[in-house]
Amino acid sequence: MNTFFLKVIASDKVFFSGKAEMVNIPTLDGEKVFLAHHENIVIAIEMGDLKFRTEDGETHHAVVGKGFAQVINNRVTVLVDSAERPEDIDKIRAEEALERAKEQMRQKQSIQEYYHSQASMARAMTRLKLSSRYLK
Amino acid sequence: MANAREILDRMKSIQDTMKITNAMYMISSSKLKKAKASLDETEPYFYSMQMAIGRILRHVPDMKSEFFNQRPEIKPEDRKVGYIVVTADKGLAGSYNHNIFKDVEECLKNNSHAKLFVVGEMGRHYFEKKGLEIAHQFHYTAQNPSVSRARNITEKILEEYLNKELDEVVIIYTKMLNGVQTETETRHLLPLEKEHFNKNVPVGVQMEQLAMVPSAEALMENIIPIYIQGFVYGALVESYASEHNLRMLAMQSATDSASAMLNDLSIQYNRVRQAAITQEITEVVSGAKAQKRKKKR
Repeated sequence: MNTFFLKVIASDKVFFSGKAEMVNIPTLDGEKVFLAHHENIVIAIEMGDLKFRTEDGETHHAVVGKGFAQVINNRVTVLVDSAERPEDIDKIRAEEALERAKEQMRQKQSIQEYYHSQASMARAMTRLKLSSRYLK
Repeated sequence: MANAREILDRMKSIQDTMKITNAMYMISSSKLKKAKASLDETEPYFYSMQMAIGRILRHVPDMKSEFFNQRPEIKPEDRKVGYIVVTADKGLAGSYNHNIFKDVEECLKNNSHAKLFVVGEMGRHYFEKKGLEIAHQFHYTAQNPSVSRARNITEKILEEYLNKELDEVVIIYTKMLNGVQTETETRHLLPLEKEHFNKNVPVGVQMEQLAMVPSAEALMENIIPIYIQGFVYGALVESYASEHNLRMLAMQSATDSASAMLNDLSIQYNRVRQAAITQEITEVVSGAKAQKRKKKR
């Protein structure tokens, strides 16, 4: 199968760098799969599950935050604010974060705080969902 | 001259202080190592981000985004500027905090609509003492910088910026020049300048076709916040590394001057002791001589 060069960069580390066969990206309106020799494109990424298959046919998962991906000359660069492997997610910590966010949502609060809690709740839920799906 | 006892006491207290400065030196050097490693890891993100924004701007030069809006309708004297000031939680780091304060005061001099967003305890104490109002204090943040903390700061700043409570955002932090030297850096964070991203593009370069999904504007709305967040995170990590670098140097020079003092004092102590011994011998000898003379008579 044709391959392309994939680089997944989070703000605190380079998450993955190497050859890949396909990458599945959570975009604003659903998931999109990219294969080798895709046309040049820049696309926004929504919080969610990023899947990619490396040269050896193994599928990897990453929980990513907001960001974007760009395909230029058969090189895919994914830039996101955070990227974690599902097995690295501290489930207890994520559960606590979810609980905290829910608690804050219940209380009366300003609009700004509301958006803040909403975002952190979405983040916690994505992380939880993925970590429990791949770790059984 | 002080007597031997006093000198010994003095030496003892210097030795104790030296133990502390030496321990602080060790702690800082190990923390610095960690901070430098995470600093290296932020670099690829930052550069690819800058390049990607530059590429999009090249394709869509007339980008209409609030983040690039310089708000020319607001007069310079009325502009509300937010300053993110990164200081340390503790002192004893050479001129680390002072340099930051000096830069902040320089900025505040020619601006009456300034809002301070302070990271670190030292900054908070300083500005409180000066009677300057702190718009927002980010607790915790100077120690152990993390992405989620950078996220908190960015959310707060962007929200005020988009609500037009701020017209400009400036970040003041300390930058590592190389392994040893540091420098305070004042950077305009918002609004972004388009020229900034397209500095070194050779003229006449072939432009590739580029599709943008969902749209260039929507992409920018998605990208800029995490770009700012990445920058803030990088600044926090860099400041943290600089803080420990400077503390390490300060503690090293403290340890050095302590050992120089100990050296001087031990020479002084030996002299005093020798003087005391000589005096005692003189006393004994002269006493014995006096006795001898008495016997002879």
